[in-house]
Amino acid sequence: MVDITPKNAIEVRNLDFYYGKFQGLKKIDLNIQENAVTAFIGPSGCGKSTLLRTFNRMYSLYPGQHAEGEILFYGQNILDKSQDLNLLRAQIGMVFQKPTPFPMSIYDNIAFGIRLYENLSRSEMDDRVESALQKAAIWDEVKDKLGQSGLSLSGGQQQRLCIARTVAVRPKVILLDEPTSALDPISTSKVEELINDLKKDYTVAIVTHNMQQAARVSDFTAYMYLGNMVEFGATEQIFFKPNRKETEDYITGRFG
Amino acid sequence: MPDKHLSSQFDHELNTVSSRLMEMGGLVESQIQQAVYALSLFVEEVADQVIKTESQVNSMEVEIDRELSTIIARRQPTARDLRLLMAISKATANLERAGDEANKIARMVKSLIHSGGFRSLPSSELRLTTEMASGLLRKALDAFARLDTSTALSILKEDDLIDKEFDGFVRKLITYMMEDPRTISSSLDLLFVAKALERIGDHAKNIAELIIYIVKGEDVRHTSMEHIESTLQ
Repeated sequence: MVDITPKNAIEVRNLDFYYGKFQGLKKIDLNIQENAVTAFIGPSGCGKSTLLRTFNRMYSLYPGQHAEGEILFYGQNILDKSQDLNLLRAQIGMVFQKPTPFPMSIYDNIAFGIRLYENLSRSEMDDRVESALQKAAIWDEVKDKLGQSGLSLSGGQQQRLCIARTVAVRPKVILLDEPTSALDPISTSKVEELINDLKKDYTVAIVTHNMQQAARVSDFTAYMYLGNMVEFGATEQIFFKPNRKETEDYITGRFG
Repeated sequence: MPDKHLSSQFDHELNTVSSRLMEMGGLVESQIQQAVYALSLFVEEVADQVIKTESQVNSMEVEIDRELSTIIARRQPTARDLRLLMAISKATANLERAGDEANKIARMVKSLIHSGGFRSLPSSELRLTTEMASGLLRKALDAFARLDTSTALSILKEDDLIDKEFDGFVRKLITYMMEDPRTISSSLDLLFVAKALERIGDHAKNIAELIIYIVKGEDVRHTSMEHIESTLQ
């Protein structure tokens, strides 16, 4: 018998998060299913980006911020003091709102991360760079100018370059923090198309202010408000028939 | 809990299209009333009036659908808003068909008047069905305006009664036709009238089901009464 019950890549248990004394997340419980797209929506300041940043412990860069509870990444609690953060961030990659290409060639933008973890021959590296750019659906646009600066690309291309950079180190989970809010509609469509392709190989979690985007790209949607997880469910259900009045008010634009 | 949208323009658009539906409903109701009046007293002018109103009802259906498409394109409605707009679109289709049935009745009345056969037929036996059907549609529109699910449920139950009345009436007509074959042609006209009334009841029932769809997010078409009652618990 083949086990077909979906696995969880990340399981959040009873998570509290503090910015100094301010509590940003309250008792969050959530499962992020493997090879699916999970979207986080909610008004500014509701904690959705904060939650996303706990998944690869981005907050550890800032003193005074701390998390309590458990975040199990394939069963292992990543909040453990013993967690190797570099390894964690290679396994759980992140793409930010504004494209952040390094001021180096397109090729090196991709190869840079790989070199930190692996020692590859020139031809092996070429293959990895090509495959990452292909996965990020940008290969055809850049294959003839790999030596050019990453900064010479358009905003939408830069964002896909950053996704390629994340993909290149072969993560298990990709976190996207408002990946298209600085992009035009065509670039946005390309990134959304890409998100759909990525879930074949990766688990994706996305924070977005654009509710229609959450409706379009995700399998599961979480609605957050004031640091609480108000409702979590299949995207179809959340957008057609949410169980909570608060969720309904938010997605129908009655939130005041 | 805030029941208004952040965008008051969106509220305005939803209210406008909802009241257009009620306006259309009012028009169809009056068509049915007139058809019924023409039927009970055999007044040809009133029957003509019903037929004249049809084009007005048709153009309202088109107009409401156009408004709905605009709202969907501009607002990308979700959840209850989306269900409301889909329900309005289906309700207009049901109203338009109920109007068509009123039309059919009016045409039959004209045909009965011209053949003179109505005098020997049990047309007064249709009065109960008639009142039930037009009353049911009015009730359905009223419940739609107030999104009243308990009235919607009682409409679904009443429609079953109309169906039973219809069956009884058909049996009666058969006796008439067997007694005097000369009444067959007029009896058939009357049968079509009865069928039209029964269909109006069905349209009222469809509208009642849409009310449950909007409020509960549950599509109760083609389901059992027990299921519908448990949905409304």
